[in-house]
Amino acid sequence: MKDKAAQLTLDEWDIRYRELCRHGLREPDYGGSLRRHVDEGGDRRLLRLRMDNSEAALRLWNLLLSEEDRLHRARAEGKYLVGTMKDLGTVPVMAYALDDTVAFYPDGAWWTPCLMEHTEGLLALADQLGVDDSFCPVRAMLAAFVNGNHFPIPDTVVCSVGATCDDMSAIAQRLDELGFPVFWWEIPHRRVADADEPSVELPGGSRVPVAQVDFVRGELNRVRRHLETGTGQSLDDARLAAGIRRANQVRRLLGQLRRFAYLGDPSPMPALEMMIAEILSIHFCSDWAETVAVVEDLLAEVRRRLIANEGSRPAGAARVYWINPPADLRLMNLLEEAGGRLCGTDYMIAHALDPIPEDMPPLEALARMALADPMVGSSAERADRIAREAARFDAEAVIVSRISGASHCATEGLAIGRIVERRLGIPVLDLEVPPVLDAMEPTIRTRLEALVETVRSGRRA
Amino acid sequence: MIFVGIDVGSRTLKVVLWDDARQRLVASAVADQGVDQDALASQLVDRLLLENGLAREAICSIVATGYGRKLIGMADRAITEITCQRWGVRQRVPEARTIVDIGGQDSKLIRLAADGRVVDFAMNDRCAAGTGRFLEVVAARLGTRIDALGRLAAESRQPARISSMCVVFAETEIVGLLASGISPADIVAGVQASIAMRVAGMGGRSVEGPVVFTGGVALVPGMTGALESALNQPIAVAPEPQITAALGAAMLAASDKE
Repeated sequence: MKDKAAQLTLDEWDIRYRELCRHGLREPDYGGSLRRHVDEGGDRRLLRLRMDNSEAALRLWNLLLSEEDRLHRARAEGKYLVGTMKDLGTVPVMAYALDDTVAFYPDGAWWTPCLMEHTEGLLALADQLGVDDSFCPVRAMLAAFVNGNHFPIPDTVVCSVGATCDDMSAIAQRLDELGFPVFWWEIPHRRVADADEPSVELPGGSRVPVAQVDFVRGELNRVRRHLETGTGQSLDDARLAAGIRRANQVRRLLGQLRRFAYLGDPSPMPALEMMIAEILSIHFCSDWAETVAVVEDLLAEVRRRLIANEGSRPAGAARVYWINPPADLRLMNLLEEAGGRLCGTDYMIAHALDPIPEDMPPLEALARMALADPMVGSSAERADRIAREAARFDAEAVIVSRISGASHCATEGLAIGRIVERRLGIPVLDLEVPPVLDAMEPTIRTRLEALVETVRSGRRA
Repeated sequence: MIFVGIDVGSRTLKVVLWDDARQRLVASAVADQGVDQDALASQLVDRLLLENGLAREAICSIVATGYGRKLIGMADRAITEITCQRWGVRQRVPEARTIVDIGGQDSKLIRLAADGRVVDFAMNDRCAAGTGRFLEVVAARLGTRIDALGRLAAESRQPARISSMCVVFAETEIVGLLASGISPADIVAGVQASIAMRVAGMGGRSVEGPVVFTGGVALVPGMTGALESALNQPIAVAPEPQITAALGAAMLAASDKE
């Protein structure tokens, strides 16, 4: 049943869901009303969000909010669980190449304090464990490991270290100390090759010395052996290549979705759903096949809306390029309520949206992809890519959404903002948002509305 | 043809009557905030109309601004204070390229293009340490009034260093400074410098002049000098700096430009 694009409150979704059921809605096994995630899962934040009214969005939300159930089922079925940390999108490709193996990001728990509006006590427990609010909200993961109330404890934890976020390294070390052994692999800071040094191009366009790729390939080979030992399976090149092809299927679908959604006017899919969809590229929400199905549904809905010239908000909204994922999902609604819309993003996973090369040995390809991670390079390189993308998507403004306590965000946001402002000459708004922004909502609204007013004023000039 | 601007700030509510045909500010009023902001705004508007021999029917349009802009039932539109400041300041100081606005609850730095458009803006993030609230806390701690702080700061010989990024911690720091014999004058001067440095930090290294200072804190003696030191350039205080956003709102009420 196709209705015109709209954003619904949870109460409105209850009615919509009943209507959909009456009209023969077909759902996967994790389907159901969104209300149950509040009633049974305690995801109270849904009561404050406005969600897209499409069946595709319903499936997306249900996939996202049922991940813990899926992980517990996988554990009950005896599957091998790999907790992946910090590397964004590399180790899961390797893990999903194996049978009966599920990879997930325990740091995804950083959204739990938002979704459950602090009723779960994760941040308070992290405080008690010595990781206070001077750290990124990803510290919620540490508490989730300790209280065991969210995801099952994985069979192994694989964490990249080196040129990664300091908070994540500190938290992973604390986990190690608490008796959750971590398998470490190292990623170096991406650097420019010296004049006499051979270099290669990475997905996304950066060039690095061959020696760095060789080093990371060696590290990933260690990860490969670790996973082989853990699962008792061989992770040969053929299997890895198949895993890469699967990952690329998701990445290509997301690439199309982003192009259609960010270039269409009116915006055919709201910011919130687009953000959740994009982040599927790194973790597949613990189910690769369902991720493909969910993104295909979203893409079909976006295409339908583009043909029908439909969006949940009017055409002509201020086109905003967004940097970093917000700790509070509500922020994406606020952007649209203020008269803005997304026209591009860099949620620190830009590299995971680029296809992994398929014309070279798989570990080489994965090493290049891992080195393309924005967080292992300089802020200037990240800003360069952002400026190029923002120009390609006709951005009229940029929002840098800093994450309270996150060490890289504290300084990187300002640097990126300055570079983007200088290159594109468009306003850059710097926002810092805690996991539940309600107390700051009036001031955040003011900033977002002022940004939209500034864009509109610029259009008239 | 009267247009009304209402600026619902955190500490005070400001109302301006603007005669667009004559390009003239007819009247303005500032009142301390109350619980019912809508009623307070209505009372102020009625008072100004009465004092100037005008009837409600003379009002063509009303724009509300400030953090409580959406609470004003009589307003035809709500526009943010960033946009309104731009219009109000350009009316008063047309050559302005940067506006520093420090109110009771927040501080802003607004960059303007040569044609007066807002190019960019920054606001204080998490804490009241760069706002008028800091001065209120200091005044209360020193047992004086906020309007006496400027005179006190003028007596300072060696402004104290206030290192805290947070008003609550800064208050503790002030207690410690007093206990160690630092004079209230030096503490006040230190607090003013601290506020100015935080505001300057929002502008990065490129604050283009002329810089115009608005907001209630612009009325506190000593703050302009502290800002001049922090920004390393002269600062002009806007005429009636508290009402520039309300003035801009009234001008926008007369315009369809935003």
